[in-house]
Amino acid sequence: MTAFGGGVSTAFVEECRQEWKRLGVPDGLAEEMAAELESDLAEAEADGVSAAELLGESDPRRFAATWARERGLVSEPSPQKRRRRVWPWVVLAVFLLVVGGTLALSTFGAGSVSSHHSHPLVVAPPPRVAVPNVVGLEACRASRKLLAGGFIVLHVPRSRCHAVVVAQRPAAGTVIQRLKPRNMVKLRLRRARG
Amino acid sequence: MLRGVLDLCLLAVVVDEPAYGYEMTRRLRERGLSTVGEGSIYPLLGRLEREGLVATHRAASDGGPPRKYYRTSTSGRRALAEGVQAWREVRGEVDSVLAAIEAEVA
Repeated sequence: MTAFGGGVSTAFVEECRQEWKRLGVPDGLAEEMAAELESDLAEAEADGVSAAELLGESDPRRFAATWARERGLVSEPSPQKRRRRVWPWVVLAVFLLVVGGTLALSTFGAGSVSSHHSHPLVVAPPPRVAVPNVVGLEACRASRKLLAGGFIVLHVPRSRCHAVVVAQRPAAGTVIQRLKPRNMVKLRLRRARG
Repeated sequence: MLRGVLDLCLLAVVVDEPAYGYEMTRRLRERGLSTVGEGSIYPLLGRLEREGLVATHRAASDGGPPRKYYRTSTSGRRALAEGVQAWREVRGEVDSVLAAIEAEVA
């Protein structure tokens, strides 16, 4: 009995296929690798060489992932790649100014606070606001507009002040609840010319 | 143990005549390298291909299905030449360190 009969090596290749699919390896290339592996395994078997010996690995998924990675077929966010990307998403705005009515001491609090008894702080529900449209604006103008709308702009690198906003997420008009850290507005900037 | 040298061996076996994956394993074996150790040649071939050190083409094999053939490219030949030189230096240095050990054991 061999450790890898024909059926077993077919199963091995099938598992590799699934792993490549999961990793987003383009179908054509995955098929090419599967065909290569399949014919090599068959030939090795005829030579009396086991699949384990040929592949040095008994875990198909790990094998498939290593191969695809070494071939450069799995997109990994490498810092180098990120630097080259022309359309970087820049995180701009979040949160909100906690002013006025947002974080409010209740109006009744003022009247009822006595010397020996204090009311708990009452936090008003966060106001809902529509995200303004900033597409087409330069980053610094977009940031001013967001500030005016009550958003806090977290980070606009000075060097990107004149970069044009080409997309925003969520879209203008989307109503979001301020004060929720998850409600970020992300802007995509196009690199400024010159 | 073979890490870093196996890719040189792979370049060496297809420098004169192209071969498909399993054929390369066979050539390694015929030249005395029977154990590839941990891992396999496929990820290495993938890397060599990505780095342009091997060129590939598909062709029919003897009576079998079409196979993917690998051949050392021009830059692969250069890498091989440099690698072999580096390997010989390292081998010499390692040998001189290990020679003393051999003497003690013997």
